[in-house]
Amino acid sequence: MRGKDDEYDYLFKIVLIGDSGVGKSNLLSRFTRNEFNLESKSTIGVEFATRSIQVDNKTVKAQIWDTAGQERYRAITSAYYRGAVGALLVYDIAKYLTYENAERWLKELQDHADANIVIMLVGNKSDLRHLRAVPTDEAKSFAEKNGLSFIETSALDSTNVETAFHNILAEIYRIVSQRQLAGGQPEAEFSHGTTIEPIKVLPTHQEGRQAPCCQNI
Amino acid sequence: MASDGGKKQFWKRNASRVPGSIQHVYGAQHPPFDPLLHGNLKQGTKPPATPVKTKKVSTFQEFESNTSDAWDVGEDDDELLAMATESLNTDVVMETANRVIQNHSKLQEQHKLQEEQTEREQPQKISDLPSAACGDNRLVKSVSETNASSSADNANANTSVPRSQSLPQASTYTLTGGVADNASGGHVLSEREALRLDKFKQLLAGPNTNLEELRKLSWSGIPKPVRPITWKLLSGYLPANIDRREGTLQRKRKEYFAFVEHYYDSRNEETHQDTYRQIHIDIPRMSPEALILQSKVTEIFERILFIWAIRHPASGYVQGINDLVTPFLVVFTSEYTEEDLENFDVSSLSTEVLQNIEADSFWCMSKLLDGIQDNYTFAQPGIQKKVTMLEELVSRIDEQVHKHIEQHEVKYLQFAFRWMNNLLMREVPLQCTIRLWDTYQSEPEGFSHFHLYVCAAFLVRWKKEILEEKDFQELLIFLQNLPTMHWGNEDISVLLAEAYRLKFAFADAPNHYKR
Repeated sequence: MRGKDDEYDYLFKIVLIGDSGVGKSNLLSRFTRNEFNLESKSTIGVEFATRSIQVDNKTVKAQIWDTAGQERYRAITSAYYRGAVGALLVYDIAKYLTYENAERWLKELQDHADANIVIMLVGNKSDLRHLRAVPTDEAKSFAEKNGLSFIETSALDSTNVETAFHNILAEIYRIVSQRQLAGGQPEAEFSHGTTIEPIKVLPTHQEGRQAPCCQNI
Repeated sequence: MASDGGKKQFWKRNASRVPGSIQHVYGAQHPPFDPLLHGNLKQGTKPPATPVKTKKVSTFQEFESNTSDAWDVGEDDDELLAMATESLNTDVVMETANRVIQNHSKLQEQHKLQEEQTEREQPQKISDLPSAACGDNRLVKSVSETNASSSADNANANTSVPRSQSLPQASTYTLTGGVADNASGGHVLSEREALRLDKFKQLLAGPNTNLEELRKLSWSGIPKPVRPITWKLLSGYLPANIDRREGTLQRKRKEYFAFVEHYYDSRNEETHQDTYRQIHIDIPRMSPEALILQSKVTEIFERILFIWAIRHPASGYVQGINDLVTPFLVVFTSEYTEEDLENFDVSSLSTEVLQNIEADSFWCMSKLLDGIQDNYTFAQPGIQKKVTMLEELVSRIDEQVHKHIEQHEVKYLQFAFRWMNNLLMREVPLQCTIRLWDTYQSEPEGFSHFHLYVCAAFLVRWKKEILEEKDFQELLIFLQNLPTMHWGNEDISVLLAEAYRLKFAFADAPNHYKR
C-alpha cells in the first residue's frame, strides 16, 4: 500500500454520507481495497481510507472519509465535512426511507460543508433488483433538480463503484484545473465560503511525499 | 498496596457499591412503569419495624437483618440511603470494622504465605515485567515512593521489584503466566491456577462475599468457571449476601420481563420506530464470532437494547452500545455450557435459561452504562471530554508520540472516538475485552476513569510503529486499524499493568497530569 501512493498531483477530500446501513463502508472498501463484507460492522465516528487514480494523466489521490450514519453522530461527523471538495450521498435503492432522507443530508451539507462541494447522489445495492423501492427515474430527476450528479452502484457485485468515484474525482479535477487556467489562484478560488478554510488543491511541484493538505479539520 | 485501606474504605465502598446501592442514572428519566412492580417498593419505604434510633442495634447481623429487605427495594430511593446511614451507630461501625480488619489480616497472612510460595517457585519471571517505565525517572520514583510507604507488610516478599507491588495483589500471576486465560477448564489446571480458582470459590461461598477481596482477586483476571457469578457481584447486580442472591435474581428477572411486556410492543409505534429500526439494522452486522447471528440471540439483543433505550431517553440507543451487551451475553451463556461458544447452538438451551441470560445481561449492561451515560447523550460530551483528557495524558507520558501525532495533524478524535464509544471492543478480540472487563469491574470507575489510562497505555504501546509512519494518511490508517487480531490475554495483562502504573503516577497528581 505504501510507496506507490506517495506521489500525487492532486489530493481531494471526499466524504461518504447517508443513512445507516446503505452501504457506505462497503463502497469505500470496494473502491480502496476491492473488498466487500456482508457483515461489515457499523461505522463508529469516522473511518478513513485513500486511493489514487489517474485523471488526464495526472495522479489524483482521494482521501475518503466514511461517516457513521446514525443521527446521534451528526455532531461529530459534520466536523469532517469541512475541507471536503466532494461528497457521495448514498441511499439504498431497496429502502425508500433512505432515499427520502437524502434531502436532510443535503441540508447537512449546506450547513456544514463548502458551498461549492461537488455532490453525487448514489443509489447503492442495485443488485437487489427484486427489492427495488426507489425508481431510477425518480432519483435521477431529484438529482437534476438539486444539481447533483447521479449513479446507481452495487458494492456487492462491483457495478459502477469504480465509475462513481472516478466521475466525481474527474469532475472535481475539471473544476479545479479550469479555475487554475482562468484565475491562477487555484487554492483560494475553489471555496468562497465564509466559515470554511480555503481548500488547498495545489499541483505538486516538489518530488516525494506531500504535506497533508485537505484534512485540516 | 492500593487496596489495603480496608479500614478506611470499607463503608465508603459499600455505600456506593453494595448491590441495591442508590445511584442516579444521569440525565435519564425512568418512564413510570407497572404499579405491580412497585408493590415491593411500598413495603420497603415503610419505616422499618425496628425504630431506627430508639433501639440500639448492637451487631452487624442485627443491623443487616433489619435492613436487608431495604436493599432489595431498588435503586432509585434516596430515603433508603438516609435510613441506612441513620441506623449506623458508631458501635456497629466500629465492631464491623474490627471484624473486617481481623478477617482481612487473616486473609493477608494466607495470601502472603501463598505468595511467598509462588515467588519461591518463580523468582525469575517476576522481573520480566514490562520495563517501559524506566524511561521516566519521575514516574518510577513516584511509584516506588508510594510503594515504600504503603506496602510495609509485604516488604519481605520481593523488595527488588517495586513495580510489581504497585499492582494489586496477585496480578503477578497473570503477568507471569496468563492464568486467567488458561483457567478455563477444558484442560488440566496448573497448581497455581487451581489455587486461584479455590480462592475465588472460597470468597464466593461465604455467607457474605467480601467484595473488596473479590475485586482484588479479580483485578488480574477471573477464572472462567467463576466469571459469571463474579461479574454479577462486581457489577452490583447481585448482593454480597449469599442468601439474598437467589431472591434478587428472581425479582430482577421478573422486573425485566415486566418491562418487556410493558414497552416492547411500542417498538413499531411512530415515536420509537427510529430507535427500533436502528437496532434492527445494527444487530446483524455485529461480530459473527459471538453467536449473535442466531435468530434467538438476535431477538435477545433487540429486546435488551430497545428496553434500555426507551428507559434512557436522554441518550437513547447509540451505535456501539450494542457491542457492550456482547461480553455479558457470552459470559452468562458460558455458565450453561462446556462447549466452545463459537459453535454453540443456543436453541439447545431451555427458554427459561435463555430468559435468565437475557435479564442478567440487561441489568449488568445497565449498571455499566450508568457510569458512562454521558458518552451517549447529545453531542457525546463524555467522549469529547475523555478524548481531550487522553490527549493531555499522552502528551505528559510520551511527548515523542504526542508530538509525532500532532506534527502529522492527526487528531485524537479521529482514532480515539471509537476507543471511548466502544470501550476498545472494536480494537481487540472479544476474548481480550472479556479479560479487560474483569479488571474494569474491579476498579472503581473502571469503565470511565481507568479506561482512560488503558487507552493511553494502548496508544503508547504502538510507539515504534507510530514513529515509523511518516505521513498523515498512513498514520491515521494505522491508528484506525491496529494489528491486534492475534492479541491474547497476556497482551491485555501487560496493557493493564502499564495502565495501572500510569494511573498510580498521574491520577492523584494533577501536576503530573496537567501541562
